[in-house]
Formats: sequence, C-alpha cells, structure tokens
Amino acid sequence: MVSLYFAVPHRARWTLLLAASYYFYMSWRVEYALLIMASTLVVYFTTIGIQEAESERRKRFFVGVSVVFNFGLLFVFKYFNFLGSSLQQLADHLTLGVHVPVLHFLLPVGISFYTFQIVSYTIDVYRGDKEAERHFGIFALFVCFFPQLVAGPIERSGDLLPQFFEKHEFDYVRVTDGLKQMFWGLFKKVVIADRLAVVVDHVYSNPTDLDGFPLLLASVFFPFQVYCDFSGYSDIAVGAARVMGFELTTNFNRPYAARSVPEYWRRWHISLTTWFNDYLYLPTVVKRRDWGVRIAVVWALMVTFTLSGLWHGAYWTFIVFGMIHGSALCIEFLTRARRKKLTAFLPPLVYSYLCLGFMLSFIVFVDVFFRASTMSDALYIIPHMITGTVRDLVDLKNAGFSLGAIKGMFAGLGAPKWDIALAMVLIVFLELVQLVQARIVIREALRPRPTWQRWSLYYAMGVLFLLLGAFNNSVQFIYFQF
Amino acid sequence: MTQDEILAALLEIFRETFDDGGIELSRTTTADDVDGWDSLTHIQLVSAVEGHFGVRFKLQEIMKFNDVGDLCDCIAKHTA
Repeated sequence: MVSLYFAVPHRARWTLLLAASYYFYMSWRVEYALLIMASTLVVYFTTIGIQEAESERRKRFFVGVSVVFNFGLLFVFKYFNFLGSSLQQLADHLTLGVHVPVLHFLLPVGISFYTFQIVSYTIDVYRGDKEAERHFGIFALFVCFFPQLVAGPIERSGDLLPQFFEKHEFDYVRVTDGLKQMFWGLFKKVVIADRLAVVVDHVYSNPTDLDGFPLLLASVFFPFQVYCDFSGYSDIAVGAARVMGFELTTNFNRPYAARSVPEYWRRWHISLTTWFNDYLYLPTVVKRRDWGVRIAVVWALMVTFTLSGLWHGAYWTFIVFGMIHGSALCIEFLTRARRKKLTAFLPPLVYSYLCLGFMLSFIVFVDVFFRASTMSDALYIIPHMITGTVRDLVDLKNAGFSLGAIKGMFAGLGAPKWDIALAMVLIVFLELVQLVQARIVIREALRPRPTWQRWSLYYAMGVLFLLLGAFNNSVQFIYFQF
Repeated sequence: MTQDEILAALLEIFRETFDDGGIELSRTTTADDVDGWDSLTHIQLVSAVEGHFGVRFKLQEIMKFNDVGDLCDCIAKHTA
C-alpha cells in the first residue's frame, strides 16, 4: 500500500487512499461503507449549501439537516436500544402494556469518531472558519481516511483537509519515524495492554466471586491497560499516517502525570476533549453566562461530561463515569481559591506528589465505572476493593508476611503468578519510558547514535515483543467498540 | 478609549479575577503565561471584562481570543 502510494503520481494519490480506505472499512462489513458514504454525501451537499446560502435562516437549515442526519444515525445505531430498554423498564414498572421495539443492528465501527469529525466540519463551515470543500473525492477521503477512521484521532478539517492537497515525498527519516511510532504503539498494545487484560478481564467478568486484593489489583491494572490499548492504537494511526507524510493530532500526552482533573483531560484523548470544548462546553457556558459565571460553568461542565461519558457507550456505567468527572471538575473549579490558600504552606514538591497520588487514586476509582459490565458490578467492586484489601493486609500481617500468605493474596486473579509479576514489571517499564519521554524525544535522541547502538535497541525491542507479546490472548482494541 | 487605557483596565481585571497582584500583561500575553487562566476560568475573565466595559461579546469573538491583544482589539471595536 505504502509503496504504491509513493509510486503513484501525486494527483492520483487521493484516489488510491480513498479506495484503500473504503476497502479497509468494508473488511468489517460491506454495509458500513454505504452508511459512511451516505453521511459523506449529506455533509458534502449541506456544507456547500451553507456556504452559498444568502440568509442566516437558510444556513441554519442546512446545519440542522447535517447535524440531525448524522447524530440521528449515531443515535439509532448506538443509543436507540438503550433508550428503548430504559423506557421498557419504566413501562413494565408502571405495568403499561407497551412493548418498545428492539432494533438489531451491529454498531458500525468508527461511527462515533467519523460522525464527530464531520459534524465539527459542518459547524466550522457554518461559523465561517472553514470554506466548504468542493472536491468530492478529497472530502470523501477526509471522512474515511483509514489510519484514523476506526478510533480517531478526531481531526479538524482545518488540520487534515489541506494535507490531502499537499505533495508528500518519500523522506527516509519521516518514514522510519512513522514506522517506529507504529511499532511502539503495537508494543504497548500487544505486550502491555493485552497482558494486563488477562487479569482485568478475568476479574471484571465475575467480580462478585472475588473480594479484596484481586479487585484492587485489577482496578489498578485497568487504567494502564486502557492507556496502552488506546494510545497504542493512536500511535499506530499517527505513525501510519506519518509514513505517508500526513500529520495527525497527538491524542495523548502522558495522562497519568496530570496533577489535576482538568489537566488530565488536557492529556487524555485530547482530540475528543477539544471537540467537546469547542463545540459543546464553550458555546454552552458562553450562552448561559448571564445565569452567573459559577452556575454557568457548573451547568456546562455537567452537560459536557455527562454527554462525553455517554459518547463512549449506551450504558449507565459510562454516564456515571462522565458525571463523576463532571462533578470533580466542578468541585475543582469552585474550590480553586480556597485550596490555593490551604496548600500555600506546603513545599511545592510535596504538593505536586500529593496531587499525583490523589489523581492516580481518583482515576482507579472512576475507571471502575468505565470497565465494569454493570452498575451493580461497579458498586460491588468499589467498596470491596478497599475493605477487602484492608482485611487481606491485616490477614497478611497476622500471618507474619509469610510467602505463602503473600501468594494467597494473589490467588483468584486468573493468571499464573509470573504473568502477574510480569504485568507489574511492564507497568514500571512503561512509566520509565514515559519519564524519559518527558525529557527528550527518544527517536531524535537515537538518531545521532552509532548504528550498532540503535540496532541493538531495535533488536532488543523486537525480541521482547515476540517473547512477551500476549499473542494467545489478543484482545480487540477497546475503543473499536465506541 | 485608547489601547493603553484598555490594557491598563485589563490588568486590574486580570489581577482581580485570578487573585494575583503580580500579573503583568502585554498584547502578546496568552493563557500559557498566566497562572490559573484556562478554559474554565476563561469565562470568568470574559464576564468581568464585559461587566467592566459594558460590552457583550459574541461566541465567535470569544473563541478567537488567542492573546490579550485580540481581547484589546475586540473591546476597542465594541466601545468605539
């Protein structure tokens, strides 16, 4: 594919990419291609309509058509059954003889991502920030560009569309950078995420059978698993695009180094956070500022984060996940001045580490809702992972910290002890790499080094990949389901 | 109002909104330069500015405030 890309003359490249992207997408289900084509057509024509429209009312009409059509499709595929079953429960509770129809659709892969991408484009055209794209082929490519089609990053038209018009030469450094990034992403996913998944999946599939330490360990593993899974995918996407000369947006920036919840959201799934900020939070808070700034901010935060939780999936656990984050942000905002006074006497380093510790605990806690299959599972896990572990630790102390007792604590995790130890080592390895990444760009630091050093590292990583990769338990990318 | 007058008034507003008497401003100051100025507190700032100058910004204008200079220009436009 890539060699074809560089062999083909620039003018024809978009055709190749478009064909490849559709072929890629249809390898899931052919019908999905029809859906994305329908969305593409609707947005293409409505945005030209917005551009040409004389009156404000006409512009809004076109925006309405695009937004209703696209979010409508998203709603039907993703949320209809959720709404239906909730209504059904209500109807049953009230013993109405109503039967809400259940639709049996599979969720088209990537629909949450590309829908958001084209709605942002529609609104940008409406706001006058972007001119409507007339070249249909390139616009269609913008919608379905295969590296970012399935799980983002959600690109802005201003960033991505112009790149399809630029000619990209084969640049050895850029291509190898892209390949390195893809490999690192794959490593994170296959070696780290999938190994952690063994424990997490085992525990979360039947949490009520377990108590104490296994629940806690799985809940600590999960944030690292989802980070390696999702950022791994993003690295593969960004790396693949980079090989061909396209620059996609960075989606992650060492999120667990965040010292506060707002900072966390500036570092996690950045393209989604900025989308919600530009198209939901900011318009909402600006519109409601007359209610009083504090009320407006709280309102806008809760709306934005509840919906962003819901974006992940049609489950109460995701809604609660979003609401907890929204509440945390509200509290953070409202208590800012007071906290600043309270913590002024602490040495900055101590304060910094306290914040870090708090954030990690908070993430472990709120991610239980993200991962749990049901609300009742989540509500079981949270108290039990704490009280159970305390009890386990007391038992451990009473047993004099004997090796047998320690091993006993790790029982019930669904994986042999060596695997669990390996998983923990991998987390430490990940964090060390991230610490290094905070200081330097690894691939640039490697470049001037002698060949034997670079290639030893590559071979070492390759060997580790083959040895440690969880090939027996390869798990689908978590964010493919969104 | 002159740009200098606007900037001077803004300085007071910034210092009060962010509770920091040590803030200094220039036309090129951005949110990265001011401690506590982020997307959450941005609306507090906008509201304070609107209240002080007796103006009302549109959403489009607010979204385009990249630095203090943009803010000054917009205020000047509204108070002209």
